[in-house]
Amino acid sequence: MSESGVPDVTQELRLPWDDDPEDLYEHAPCGYLTTLPDGTIVRVNETFLAWTGYVRADLIGHKRFRDLLTPGDQIYHETHYAPLLAMQGEVHEIALEVVRPDKRRLPTLVNSVLERGPTGSPRIIRTMVFNASERRRYEKELLHARRAAEASEQRVQVLQQIVADLAAAPTVAEVAEAVVRAPEPAFQATSTSIYLVDAERDQIVAVASTDPTTGNWDDMPRSSTRAVAEVARRGDLHVVGTVAEAEEHFPDLAESMRRSERRSVVLLPLTTGPAEGETGITVLGVLAFSFRDERGLTDGELRMIRLLGQQAGQALDRARLYDDVRRREERASFMARTMRSMEVEHRLLQRARRLVERMVAEIADWALVRLQVGPAGVVEYHGSPAPDQAKLDVRTAAAIKSGEPVFATDGDGLGCTVLPLTVRGTVLGTLAVRMAPDRRGVEAERKFLIDLADRSALALENARLYEQERAIARTLQRSLLADSVPGSDPRFAVETHYQAAAQDMEVGGDWYDAFLITANKLAVVVGDVVGRGIEAATTMGQLRSAIRALASAENGPARLLEGLDRFCDRVDAARMATVVYAEIDLLSSEVAYACAGHLPPLLYEPAGSPQYLLQARSAPIGSRAGDRRRVEHRMRLAAGSRLLLYTDGLIERRNRGIDQGFEILAREYARMRDAPLKGLAAGLADTLVGKDHGDDVCMLCLTLGTEERLERSIGADPLQIALLRADMRGWLAGHGVETECLNAVLLACSEAVANSIEHGYRDDPFGVVDVCATISPETVEIRVADRGGWRGPGNDFARGRGLQLIYESMDEVAFDRGDDGTRVTMRRHRGDNHD
Amino acid sequence: MTDQWVSFSRRGVAELVHLKGEIDLANANDIGRAIVARTTTADAVVIDLTAVSFLDSAGVRLLDFIVGDLDDRGKPIRLVVGERGPARMTLQLCAFRTDLLATDLEKAATELGR
Repeated sequence: MSESGVPDVTQELRLPWDDDPEDLYEHAPCGYLTTLPDGTIVRVNETFLAWTGYVRADLIGHKRFRDLLTPGDQIYHETHYAPLLAMQGEVHEIALEVVRPDKRRLPTLVNSVLERGPTGSPRIIRTMVFNASERRRYEKELLHARRAAEASEQRVQVLQQIVADLAAAPTVAEVAEAVVRAPEPAFQATSTSIYLVDAERDQIVAVASTDPTTGNWDDMPRSSTRAVAEVARRGDLHVVGTVAEAEEHFPDLAESMRRSERRSVVLLPLTTGPAEGETGITVLGVLAFSFRDERGLTDGELRMIRLLGQQAGQALDRARLYDDVRRREERASFMARTMRSMEVEHRLLQRARRLVERMVAEIADWALVRLQVGPAGVVEYHGSPAPDQAKLDVRTAAAIKSGEPVFATDGDGLGCTVLPLTVRGTVLGTLAVRMAPDRRGVEAERKFLIDLADRSALALENARLYEQERAIARTLQRSLLADSVPGSDPRFAVETHYQAAAQDMEVGGDWYDAFLITANKLAVVVGDVVGRGIEAATTMGQLRSAIRALASAENGPARLLEGLDRFCDRVDAARMATVVYAEIDLLSSEVAYACAGHLPPLLYEPAGSPQYLLQARSAPIGSRAGDRRRVEHRMRLAAGSRLLLYTDGLIERRNRGIDQGFEILAREYARMRDAPLKGLAAGLADTLVGKDHGDDVCMLCLTLGTEERLERSIGADPLQIALLRADMRGWLAGHGVETECLNAVLLACSEAVANSIEHGYRDDPFGVVDVCATISPETVEIRVADRGGWRGPGNDFARGRGLQLIYESMDEVAFDRGDDGTRVTMRRHRGDNHD
Repeated sequence: MTDQWVSFSRRGVAELVHLKGEIDLANANDIGRAIVARTTTADAVVIDLTAVSFLDSAGVRLLDFIVGDLDDRGKPIRLVVGERGPARMTLQLCAFRTDLLATDLEKAATELGR
């Protein structure tokens, strides 16, 4: 015991039992060998023998230590162990493997000490051998783990590259390209293919492969029994290790494996959604890769493969969304541009036109807008070829009836989608469109079309409302104009014409009016209020009423204009209106007229040429600067005179002086002297301004008295017969011809003119038919003459009936056919004298 | 296009055709097409001519065609004209069968519409 009470370890402790040194040597926890300097074993303990399985007698004196080692370690012994021991006198922790008699190997760690004799020469080597089996196993495990880690790291690197590629792939096609390149470097696959699920078409489509000579590239329905479809439905990884396994579960795959000489196949669903194992994942595609040899896959590899499936699935999902977003952006941009383009136009027809043109320019090959507005509706279409009309009609009717779009489907034989144009629950019409069949985004496409139809419907409805408002202003104006212009008085006839500006203008303030002041005094007016729109139309109505109120048997034109000047003090909007006003005494045929700032009337008397009435001029109504001394002029008119009142729209043109306008009007008026009164004003407007004019045109033409003879020339156009009939009806009535006779003469005259047009001028659209009517107290005589080539009535039953009508309705009929045309003379007795 | 001259209504099985204004060479064909489109499958037709202010041989041809078509199909037709007036005059001058003509629209329509 030491002073401190702690056992003194410099001395051996006395054990409670005897520890035999010999026993300690033999059964020490390590092997002991004592060898001669050349390695010959001279002593060995029991532990070593027990570990290695040798018998002591086989070793002592017979074996050298190195003889017990593996060939590799024997070399190591010679090159490292022995020289080190000789130089340093000892070696430590040398790893050597001992070959046991049964050839198994014992991993060991060896420490040796060289003992030298008094002369310094080697005398003996003491070697301590530790059993390193456990340690070696641990080392092997470590090595194995490192190798596995390295392989895994390589796969991870490949996958990281793939993931990076996937992240950079903006489209589904590029994602597919990146994914299909992964399995070969990562898993040493021989070839790879990728299939994508098209959910809307319910199909699975092969999109890429590293070896297109393998596999079956046909589209398959998702319900197919093929292995790819099966895996897509199940949504989990399938490793088919052998052809026999494939044969059992997927015959189509086994066939394909045999054909392309593959032994193992991996079918990996590309998924998105919650982590694996949970419900609700979506399979976007299947990656199929195969191996030329049978290939088992480690857990690590399987984990990697699953990860690849999830990464690829997410990339696909993202690319699809990205595709959708880009498509939506394109559609939105198209929508915005189309709506802007439509808004430029205010009119309904033009807007509809814009819509179909924009659609055909960008998204469709044919488009049609049909609107149920107005009596005829509106139809605008663009593009080609036109689809089957009957089928389209059926689909259009279905869309209108249900108020729901009818979409084109594959193989419906029409390919057109018909969308109702609905505003506030009312179907305004339909939009029909034929687009290239789009493989993706059908649902999005449908939503887009519905949106387009809705917004178009609104734009079209706005145009319709705009037109309706214009129409209301027009109707107001027309109702004021059309009101009770006196007719059926044989002493005069009035023809009026109002033509609205062709360009997109609001209604003007032009007006005409004709009314009887007394039984024998007729007033005619044409005027023009400053401004446009509903206010101008209203002012026009007030002025018109004011004139009717101011007109009296006593006043006369000048005093009437003075009354209008006073009227302006109360209705300021009427200021600066221009008016031409005339009163006609129907007994004396005297006319009194006055012009307040208005264009002069144009008079045509049966004998003579047209003349402008330039007297009785003063300033516009309510003018402050102009000469407001109102004057009037009186003159007597011959029977059959025509007086034309008009507004400036008839003659004023930007590109010609007003003098020239006056000249042209007078010339055209003279040229039409034999035209029927009905249609005369419209004809003049046609000739002078045409259809494309920028201002309203308002005209009133008065024929005074009944001509002794009615002479008219009309063009060879069936439409002209009605105009002639109107003149003749008035002329016959003016001469007091009784109704029955009048109707018979009109019928015969019409048939005769129709004959001339249909037979005389069947080849000459520019032919002219001359009609002359005379009357006596006993008879009415009509002569109709043409200068055409008459073919005779014999072969035409209908014309035969026309001739029959002539003969039946007239008392005497004579045809005079010559080389220069045909003349029919017909006579009918008046009153009861008809046969 | 022909709305100003022709309109339609129905009385029982009878298709009623109302004509007005002047019917002549210029518009008879269009009017005829509009009428035939409505009468070609009708079981009975009444054509009201009382508001017609002028009827020429082209109008007669049109009526003749429609009458012939209904006769061929064994379906009844009446032409309603006034006691007097331009339409009656023209049809009488063309010697239309008197059994085709009627003067009372209501009576003719009720009779044929049964």
